This record gives sequence, C-alpha cells and structure tokens, in this order.
Amino acid sequence: MANDDKFINIKVKRQDGPDAAPYWEEFNVPYKPNMNVVSVLMEVRKNPVNVQGKAVNPVVWECNCLEEVCGACTMLINGVPRQSCAALIDKIYEQTGFGKQIVLAPLTKFPVVRDLTINRERMFANLIRVKAWVPVDGSWAIARGPRFADREQRWAYIISRCMTCGCCQEACPNVSNKSKFIGPSHIAQVRLFNTHPIGEMHKEERLDALMYEGGIQECGNAQNCRKVCPKEIPLTNHIAFMNKETNKYAFRRWRYR
Amino acid sequence: MDKKSNFFLRRIHSLLAIIPIGIFLLFHLSLNTTVFFGGRETYEAVINFMKNMPLVLVLELVIIFLPITVHALYGLWIVYVAKNNALNYKYGNNWAFYLQRITALITIVFLVFHVYLQRFSVHEAEAVIDSLTSILHNPAFFILYAIGLLAAVYHFANGLFTFLITWGVTIGDHSQKICRYISLGLFVVLGVWGVGILTVIAGF
Ligand code: SF4
Ligand code: SF4
Ligand code: FES
Repeated sequence: MANDDKFINIKVKRQDGPDAAPYWEEFNVPYKPNMNVVSVLMEVRKNPVNVQGKAVNPVVWECNCLEEVCGACTMLINGVPRQSCAALIDKIYEQTGFGKQIVLAPLTKFPVVRDLTINRERMFANLIRVKAWVPVDGSWAIARGPRFADREQRWAYIISRCMTCGCCQEACPNVSNKSKFIGPSHIAQVRLFNTHPIGEMHKEERLDALMYEGGIQECGNAQNCRKVCPKEIPLTNHIAFMNKETNKYAFRRWRYR
Repeated sequence: MDKKSNFFLRRIHSLLAIIPIGIFLLFHLSLNTTVFFGGRETYEAVINFMKNMPLVLVLELVIIFLPITVHALYGLWIVYVAKNNALNYKYGNNWAFYLQRITALITIVFLVFHVYLQRFSVHEAEAVIDSLTSILHNPAFFILYAIGLLAAVYHFANGLFTFLITWGVTIGDHSQKICRYISLGLFVVLGVWGVGILTVIAGF
C-alpha cells in the first residue's frame, strides 16, 4: 500500500475521571484517505499504544449518529469546537499541511466525564427551564393544530436543527463557571417555540425563564456563537430579536403589576 | 422575573451608558470644541459659564457622577465574569468585545485621574487650564491622556453598536453590519476630534 509509511499524529488531552488531573498523550495512526476524527479514534481503540510504544487505556469519547445531527461527538479539534464525525482529516490537512499534528481536547465549558467525553446535562436542564417544547399532551384526542406560516417556517426550521451540541456555549465568552448564562442556543429555542402557533400560548412562561438569573441579559454581543454553530443558526439575530421581546415584556409586566 | 435576576440591572447598565453618559460625552466634547475658535480666552469663558450654571452640583451629581459610578461598578462585575477568548476565536466582533472590556478598565483609570486633576484639585477656570497644559506639555503624559481619551471614545462608539442589539433595534445581519461601520466611523471621528482638542490645549 502506498500510504503504509504515513501516519496521522494526534495529541489527546486525557483525564481518567471527573476529578483526575488532565494529561496529554500522543498517538500515531496509519494514514488512509477519507478518514475523520472518529475513525482515527476507532483505530486508537483497536490498538491503544501511544507514541512511546506503551500500551494504554483506549481513549474514551462519545459518538452516535455519525452525520452531524446528534452533537454527541463534539470536541475541540485544533482548538475549535466541532463535531468529530464531521471533521475530515484530509480537510484539516488542507488547512494545516499534511501530517501536521491534530490536537483533540474535551470542551472546556462542561464537566469532563473521562478523556473526551463531557457531561452536557446543564444544557438539557436549561432546555427544560425555558420550556423548549409545545405542550399538547392531554387525555383525549385533539384535532390537527394550526401550522407555522410559511414565512416563519423558513427561518424557524433552521433553529429546529439545533442539536444541543454546545459549540456556541463553548465559544461564548460569557458562558463560564463564573456565570449562570444559559447560552445562545437556548435563546434561539425560545424564539422557535414562541413562534410556534401552539407554543405561543405559553410564551410568557418562556420569556420569564429567559429573564431569570443567567438569562438573555448575560449576552455581551461577542457574536462568536454564530460563527461556530455547525447548523448555521444565525444566533445573533435571534438574540437581538429576543432582546426586543424581553424588553417589551418586562415593560408590559411592570405596567400591569 | 425573579428577585434574583439581574435582567433589570443589566438593562439599566446599558441604558445609562447612552442616557445620560453618552450624551454627556458628546456635550463635553462639543464644549471643548470652543478651543478651536478663540483660543484660551474663549475656553476660559466657557469653563466659567459651565461652573456658574444654576444647580451645577446637582447636575454633576445626577447626570455625571452617579450614572458613571453605577455603570462602572456593575461593569467591573461584567468584565470579571467574562472568559475572554479572542486569541482562540479571532473574529472581528470578538476582538471588539474584548477591547470593550479593556477600554472599560482604561477609561475608569483615566476618569479617576481626569476628575481628580481637573475637577477636585483645581477650581478656577484659569487653574483648570493650567493643570491641563502642565500635563499636556509633557509628551509622555500627552500620550497617556490621549490613550485615556481614545479608550473612552472607543467604549462609547462600540457600546452604541451593542446598545442597539441589546435594545432589539438592529436585529438582522444587514442592519447590524451597517451599525458596525457607523460605530467604527464614529470612533474615528470622535477620536480625531478629541485628540485635536488635546493638541490645541497643549499649544496654549
Ligand atoms: S453574542 Fe452573546 S451569546 Fe453569542 S457568543 Fe457573544 S456573548 Fe455569547
Ligand atoms: S445553536 Fe448551533 S452550536 Fe449551539 S448547540 Fe445548537 S447546533 Fe450547537
Ligand atoms: S456522532 Fe452525532 S454529531 Fe457526530
């Protein structure tokens, strides 16, 4: 094989458990065309020997859909948060040069479970907090509800592609362990469900949640979130719109008090 | 809204920045513009006029001192909370965000000196101008003073851009981009204007 002598060199930030100290470990994986970061990690799992030739525990990471829709495989790849299933080695080399070391690290804004696996529970809890759903459950059958108007459906669909991957949260300077900011993705989700013809009936509850501690007010308009979102959700537009909505709502609520 | 929420505080913080602080900044620069016309005598007359305004102490307290103090103190908390990452994510807006925080700190230091030297340690119009010229005649201090002024002006111009988003005025990409350019233009205009004023005063 022509590629026999070529290697993909990766450097992984590892951590044996939630409270263990992190350390770096390098691996070489034989190069094949069309690999992605997930398949490189699978090779490491088959043969978990580091560059020093020492057999080690295989690297732990998460993945599921393998087509950039579940968000489970999100990690820092050369410092940028993205899905490792969608990170093609050849594409990375096009930018950095063939054979250049690829650095993998867990997201920094979430607790590490082990190696590259992180715990994104905070994001799910915050989705519950902002009531990111349409409440239609009942004990009897109901007829078909109203539908999105076409002009709204067009942009609302794009928000619905959010996979709670955490890239936007990772890049946002205002999401940190010093703040309780729910993050950009959730602000967009509120807009989605507040626009839904049935979801709209509960829109005040979501606005309340959005103005609670760690709510929309924590955004400082750095606009990184929008740049890193793999689903190309124009988060900054949705944040600005929800700024307007929450301001109006705050004023109205105060007048009626 | 829960009592625990800082939503209200954040919005007040944003509002104060423009009303009255931003307006005061423009007013301040406009008054100083008189140095371009008529030199030292006019400037002295203007300062005297200002100092003799009715209720000047109340105005200073309500329009200038309190809003700036509230904005600065809560702003320090905002600066502390952010985890800046401009080196990892080198986007223009992220740099602007980082600079907004750096200029915030510079402006606070500058204002403390500015207010102490030109407001509290001297009182007569003549003495105010003397205290200014003695600083500005020294090239090193001139540069420091200009940096302070540019920081304040940047913080205002860039703040205007984020203010429009915070209040939901600019929502789409296009309007945000146009306001980004306007804010940059404003920074350049105010910066040149302010340093021009300093240069003229340095020549007194
Ligand atoms: S625009 Fe707001 S939410 Fe997005 S990265 Fe900046 S601070 Fe975070
Ligand atoms: S908004 Fe985009 S970056 Fe953020 S969690 Fe959703 S898909 Fe990921
Ligand atoms: S495995 Fe689902 S996004 Fe990568």
